[in-house]
Formats: sequence, C-alpha cells, structure tokens
Amino acid sequence: MKIALFIPCLVNQMMPHVGIATVELLEKLGHQVILPKGQTCCGQPMTNSGCFDEAKKTTLKLLNAFKGVECDAIVCPAASCLVAAKENFHEFDTSPEAQAVINKLYELTEFLHDVAPISAFNKPFNHKISLQLSCHGIRMLDLATPSEQMGPRTNKVEAVLKAIPNIEIVYPGRHDECCGFGGTFAIDEGAVSAKMGKDKAQAHAETGAKYAVGFDPSCLLHLDGMIRRQQLPIETLHIAQVINAAL
Amino acid sequence: MSTSHTTASHAKKGEIFCQDESRVDWHSKALWALREKRDRAAGSLPEWEQLRQLGSELKLHTLTHLGQYLEEFEQNCQANGIQVHWAKDGVEHNQIVHKILAEKQVKKLVKSKSMLTEECHLNPYLESHGIEVIDTDLGERIIQLAKQPPSHIVVPAIHLKKEEVGDLFHDKLGTDAGASDPLYLTRAARAHLREQFLSADAAMTGVNMAIANKGAVVVCTNEGNADMGANLPKLQLHSMGIDKVVPDLDSAAVLLRTLARNATGQPVTTYSSFYRGPQADGEMHVIIVDNGRTKMLQDKILAEALKCIRCGGCLNTCPVYRRSGGYSYNYTIPGPIGIAVGSQHDATNSMPWACTLCGSCTHVCPTKVPLDKIIHHHRRLKAQAGQLPYGKSTYMPLVGNFMASETMLNCSMSVARTALRILPGALLKPFSGAWGKYRELPVAPNSSFEAWFNKNRGQ
Repeated sequence: MKIALFIPCLVNQMMPHVGIATVELLEKLGHQVILPKGQTCCGQPMTNSGCFDEAKKTTLKLLNAFKGVECDAIVCPAASCLVAAKENFHEFDTSPEAQAVINKLYELTEFLHDVAPISAFNKPFNHKISLQLSCHGIRMLDLATPSEQMGPRTNKVEAVLKAIPNIEIVYPGRHDECCGFGGTFAIDEGAVSAKMGKDKAQAHAETGAKYAVGFDPSCLLHLDGMIRRQQLPIETLHIAQVINAAL
Repeated sequence: MSTSHTTASHAKKGEIFCQDESRVDWHSKALWALREKRDRAAGSLPEWEQLRQLGSELKLHTLTHLGQYLEEFEQNCQANGIQVHWAKDGVEHNQIVHKILAEKQVKKLVKSKSMLTEECHLNPYLESHGIEVIDTDLGERIIQLAKQPPSHIVVPAIHLKKEEVGDLFHDKLGTDAGASDPLYLTRAARAHLREQFLSADAAMTGVNMAIANKGAVVVCTNEGNADMGANLPKLQLHSMGIDKVVPDLDSAAVLLRTLARNATGQPVTTYSSFYRGPQADGEMHVIIVDNGRTKMLQDKILAEALKCIRCGGCLNTCPVYRRSGGYSYNYTIPGPIGIAVGSQHDATNSMPWACTLCGSCTHVCPTKVPLDKIIHHHRRLKAQAGQLPYGKSTYMPLVGNFMASETMLNCSMSVARTALRILPGALLKPFSGAWGKYRELPVAPNSSFEAWFNKNRGQ
C-alpha cells in the first residue's frame, strides 16, 4: 500500500526515532511510505485549552498537507494527536475533501491490526514489556476495551505484539489509569500531574519489565521524564520500535 | 486540613494537597477500592452496558419532556396529599423551607443526606434563623461536627482517617480519648443520633428519584437515617432538583440497579424508600428546585450533565480527584461531575482544567453522561467569555501562530534541541518551569524526523 505519514510535531522535533521506526517497519512490510510536506501540529494544545480560534490556522495547515495526496492510508504513530486531528479537521472543514482525508486516518496499531495485519515476525524480542494503554487510544479509538467497560473485551495492541516470538507482555497496576500528561495539564497542574506520572512510572517498574511500551509518544515522553527523575530500572519504547526490531 | 472554599485555583489547592504524599496515596487507594468494588458489581451483571444505555435514554427522554413530567408529578403528589413547592434558586428554596418550619415552630430539624441542600447552603440559613439542623448520615454528621463541607458526594468524610474521627468524637461526643475502633465510634454516633431523632420537630431528606406517575419520591440510604427521620416527627420535607423526576417505577428500577453498584459496589442500598404521602395527622412537603438547571438545559452539551444520578462513580475513578482531594474544586460538588455542573460558579475559572480528558469518568457513568466532552466544552465557553486561567489568554494566541509556521517551529525547536543537548541540566532547570520541577527534561535528538526523512528517503 501507499502510505502517507502523519508525523505530529512532538515526534518530528523531539522523538524522531519513533518516526524512523515507523518508516522502517512499514517498508519492511512492503509498503511505500511518503511524507507530505507542511505538517506542523494537529491543534490539540489549543483546542484542549478551549482556544478554537487559535487552533484553526494550524489545523487547516495540517489538513491541507494531506488534501489531494495520492495514498491508500494516512498513518500516525501517536493516538492522541490522531484523535485530535480527526475532531479538529471536522470542526474547521466539513467539505467532502476534508472527510476524504479523515476517512484515511489511522493510528499505527489500528492500521496494523485492522487494515494490513502482519503475517509473521522474523526476529524474536527477548524481553518482558509492560504495556502502557494510553487514554485517548483506548477510550476514543477503541484500541483496547477500557477497564470501566463491561462485556466482551478486545485489545488490538496486545493482539499485534503477542505474535512476536519470545515477547512477554505484562500490565502495570491500575493498568489503564491516566499517566497524568494531559498536554498543558502537565504544566498547569504540575504537582498533580507529576504525582500521577510518578505512580504510573512506579507501577510499570514494579512489573519487573525491561521496557514500558506504548503507542502514544506524549505519554512516553512524560513517563521517561518521571522514570529518570525517580531513577527507576525501566525504559520507555514506542510500539513502532518493538515491532521494527522484530521484523 | 483546610476547610474553607477560598478562591485559589485548583492547581494551587492540588499542589497543597500533594505536599503530604502518604496522605495522597491513602486517599487515592481508599477511593480506588470503591472503583474496584464497582467493577466487580457491574461485571456481575451480563446486562450492565444495556442498563447504562437504558439509563441514559430514559433520563434524556425525561429531560426532553421535563415540563410534562414535572406537572404530572405535581398533580399526583397533590392527589396523594403532598404539598408541592417550586423554587427558582437556592435562596427561594431556603425561604420556602424556613417558612414551612417556622409555621410549625420547629426548633430542631433532622436531615438525611442531600447534596441539593449543600448546593443551596440551607444549614447556615436555617441556623441563622434559630433552627438547629442535625445531619444524620454518619459521614455527614462527622463533617458537620468538624465544621467542614463534604469532600465527596457519596462518602462525604472520606478525607478523614478513623483516628481523626476518634479525636473529633472524643471532643464532641465524649468518647474515650484515643479510641478509633470503627465499631465503637459508630455505636457512639448511633446513640447520639438516636437522641436527635427522638427530639426532632421535623425531618428533611434529599431525593434520588421522583416518580411522575405515582407522585412519590425515592430516598436511598444505607443507614436507615432518612426513614428514622421521616417516620418520627409529623412534618417531613423532601428537596429535589428538577432533574430528579423519572416517568414511572420501571424507570426508577433501571436506575436503582446501577446506582448503588456504581457508587459502592453494593447490589442496592440497604434502604430504598418510596414516600408517597404524609403520616396520619402529618404533613409532607416536596420542594422542587431549579437553581440554574433550566439554563443548563438550553446548552445541548451541558444538558447531558442533568442525566447524572449522583452515584459518585466518576469521582472514584478520576485520577485527578483522587490526588487533589474534594476541597481542591471551587464548588460544593467536586470531581468530574462537579466540573460539569459547577464550572460557572468558579471565580478562578480553573475547574475545567482540573482534568486530563482521560475519559474514564464517561465510561464509568451509569447514565453515560459525556463528562469529558462537557469539561472540554466548558473550556471553550471559558475561552469565548475571555475567562481563561493560567495565563492561557496571553500565550495561546502565540502558540497558535507559532505552530502554524513551519519556519518558526523548526528554527526554535532546533535551538531548543541544541540547548537541551549541550547545556548542563542545572542551568536549564530554572527555565523549564513545572516540567523540570518534577521530571527530567527530554533527551534531545540531533535533528528532526523530517530532516532524517529528507536525507535518507531523498525527498
């Protein structure tokens, strides 16, 4: 398939390794990867602060980067940004062209689970990982059934990763409780955010896993800052890095 | 612990709460235990998600036919010999209650749990008119003796440890110094409250549901205190918000199946009492209060907050509430539902930002109140009204322009990455604000992803 990458600002500027792993794994799976120009930000920092006027220019710039781009899917390795892009594109542009872009948007796990499943992994991943099920991915994109919900359960993240030879998947206590990042919440509500992050980092470390693995770079950046401040014996990895290492 | 609702931002109050980390851990664990009990109770019903959907639909239906159901309720109440009063706000509610009590020369009123009377600040009003008010729910009585407001809508004294309750009871009720055994303290409270019930001139309760086609009110308690009150004195009063009415008993049955399960994990409250008329020779009054609710109904998104049945489940699951405490919100009702129904009363405008938009509350809610959506909407309303907290009105327009420009974003982030790489942490920390105060700064890469892609994939 021909895949256009949606690389959010945080990944582009601060976590390029997540983008690189995404490109490499998609290419190993036989896809053609392109990077449409003109992407900056999905507008989430502004809309989550209620500032829709301030978000409009940025959001439309991102939307325009994808309008008319010839591709089968637009894939993003960041769930929260993807949700915001979907909502904000719709908020500011209700044209059929905008809807066509929205219809092609997929978060990476979602893409690898629903659209183009991986037939086999070539290499083992000889480590125990503690899965970070971030809020927007599970509660807004249905990547996994949230713990509050009763009835049948799905978990696309685990379903994709468990096919990797030798991988051991565990979960932290209160496994889908928020890590406390919350965008500007991390700054506005520094003390409460940090306590949430500390509790989450410790819960991951207590599993004895080598890596805390997640699909949302912003949560991973927050966890990484907490883990290093608390000097906990665990590191963060994005699922793209784990999948890329096993292909 | 601070008892006053002073006007500091939620962030400031949360920061103060977080200074005692072991207490935060204790508070968070106590409330998470309720969430775990809720999960077990909800999980034991195969039809749980259907009940949530039914609850949501029946509340929405009632809210969209509210006038019709309230009038039906009033007519059926009157047919049952119940006197119905309408109050447009808290002040009018308090005046009506006082008038009813004054006519009967009531000196002592026993009250069972009612968040509405907290919302209307009824107790201080009646006390200023010489009427003694005794809250009879154990948790409510504890905080009344401690002169504190509730910190939770279902377990109002959850912020106090048993040792603190022991000290309080020693001081106020004469229990043994240093005694903190819950059974001993509960027995002391029971004896104390029994005297109050027997000497009261009138009783008042809140209302969990009002049944339109029967003219009856439903009151749920675990301690039987509402029933002890309502059945002893000849005068009984029940205060309810206009959002409490439901069409019929079947509707109430749906909500009763989820209410206690979602609150404390019990299949049902110990007492679910249906009152549909006064005692022989007695009087029964129902006061129906608006206090801003019809205004909320006019906003399609805010209106859904009125589906709430006050189970408190959203507070128990909220990671922010558990770590900032009930007094950090500038409203009588804390937590996600407090933000949803109380943000317009917060002078600091910070309440809608006491939330990471994680969405756990929305998924826990037994009537599917879209709490995260409502909180997000409150932020937008605050922005539109020019009431943004935390300096957002100054920096957000800058961020908006900055993010919309690749040149500005790329240049400045390139400088930032270099600074993060080459400058010592000690030098950066003073400039890193709340992030660096609590967390290590990110390890900065050499270049952006886009630069790597252009170099390695030749675009």
